[in-house]
Amino acid sequence: MDTRAFDPAMIFTVMPNLLEYLDVTLLVGAGSIIGGSLLGMLLAWAKIGGTRGLHWLAQGYTYVMRCTPSIVLLFIVFYGLPQLMDALFSYNINQMNRAVFAILTFVLLFGAYISEVFRSAYLAVPQGQYEAAVSIGIPPIKAFFLVMLPQAAVVALPNFANSTINLLKEGALAYTIGLIDMIGQGNLIIAQNFGAYGIEVYTACMLIYWGMTLLLERVFDWLEARLDKGQTLAIRSKDATGKEKNGWKEWLKGGEAHGIGL
Amino acid sequence: MELDYEFMARTFGEVWKGAGVTLSLTVLSLLLAFLPAFYLAVLRIRGNSSSSRLAALYVSFVRGTPIILQILLLYSLLPSLIHAVLKAAGSSINIFETIDPFWYAVVVFALNTTALLTEVFRSALLSIPKGQLEAGLSIGLSEVQTYLRVIIPQALVVALPAICNITVNLIKGTSLAFLMTVKDVMALGKIAASYGYNYIEAYLDVFLVYLVLCTLVQWSYHFAERRLGAFRGNA
Repeated sequence: MDTRAFDPAMIFTVMPNLLEYLDVTLLVGAGSIIGGSLLGMLLAWAKIGGTRGLHWLAQGYTYVMRCTPSIVLLFIVFYGLPQLMDALFSYNINQMNRAVFAILTFVLLFGAYISEVFRSAYLAVPQGQYEAAVSIGIPPIKAFFLVMLPQAAVVALPNFANSTINLLKEGALAYTIGLIDMIGQGNLIIAQNFGAYGIEVYTACMLIYWGMTLLLERVFDWLEARLDKGQTLAIRSKDATGKEKNGWKEWLKGGEAHGIGL
Repeated sequence: MELDYEFMARTFGEVWKGAGVTLSLTVLSLLLAFLPAFYLAVLRIRGNSSSSRLAALYVSFVRGTPIILQILLLYSLLPSLIHAVLKAAGSSINIFETIDPFWYAVVVFALNTTALLTEVFRSALLSIPKGQLEAGLSIGLSEVQTYLRVIIPQALVVALPAICNITVNLIKGTSLAFLMTVKDVMALGKIAASYGYNYIEAYLDVFLVYLVLCTLVQWSYHFAERRLGAFRGNA
């Protein structure tokens, strides 16, 4: 360890090589966010408008997912899914790209987290808006998509941003199942150097992630300011005061959605 | 697909033994992070601009990078760093053998939690009206006394739900400590899994253990919140 000093220049030497694999990291992130949002919408719908059984199913699913470390779920999906597919359909997916397993895991997780965001955002829009729309003759489906959804989306945006950024960071775990993303490539570089340059390579990865996070924060801030149109403040303050605590049900929901993981 | 239930039941007991390590890692990191986080939060609120900015930079960096990278970096950095320092001090202790990786994990998670708690404490402190401090001072309490007896008890109740969230996330986060060869729940599950290739069963056990742990923690926070928040009259 004392044969070689820390070499800051190495951080910037490996960075271009790492950046080549950024697309894998981003692909896992984007795929999970899109899939997860769809699952989240479904879950939010089940929580708000579903039957009693569906409601509790969605609620229970969310609770369980909030308690599951992503790496455990990743391993369960990675090892379990091929066996399940083999048993059910005698179909071998062992050779399937590992990105698929990673995306599937994060879809399951992100869906649970984001469903709470969607649910609270939808409830923050006054129900009178929907009734007003229907009363002037807009069909219910159109009223939902044209009146409720745009308003709920703006309310959901800050929490959505938070969850997105957290998901991107969680995505770093994908290398543990052997996916060659940015960190996977970083580990390959370290291995090629016989275990040297670990500190430099990891620092480079961290700087890239930090840059991505800061950039995303800016983008979402900009979006928020643009879509706000002077409306959300009223809706949000109503949400803050109008929210009631109802004992253990509140506890089951686990408080407010603070996004995924650490 | 046939699950080996007998294996699962047996392994559950084995994996459960890791709960102690997981919980002590969580509790130690939280306790160690508490004071620095409070200090950073106060810096953020009333420090001069350069120290406040430095604290903000730290928080932004820790929150902007994946925990797994923080683990990988510090785990490759810390041992050699301590080794170099000890060597410079003329000590002949071989820290590569004497320091349990558990302590590296504590350092990593404490540093991480510090950043998260800083934000929580900052917003909790900001939620207490300034009049509380002024009222305390006006009746002759010192500033420290006012903080200890008036402001912090109130701020803590405000912060409790967020601290609960951080604790649950920390428990989940410590599952990555197996990368530092710490024998926590995840590591024991991994060992059990690779022994007979019973991956699913072992990881389902791990999953159950975390579910139980998180439920217990959330439960206790829920009751703590009721008790501590009694003065607000909503318990």
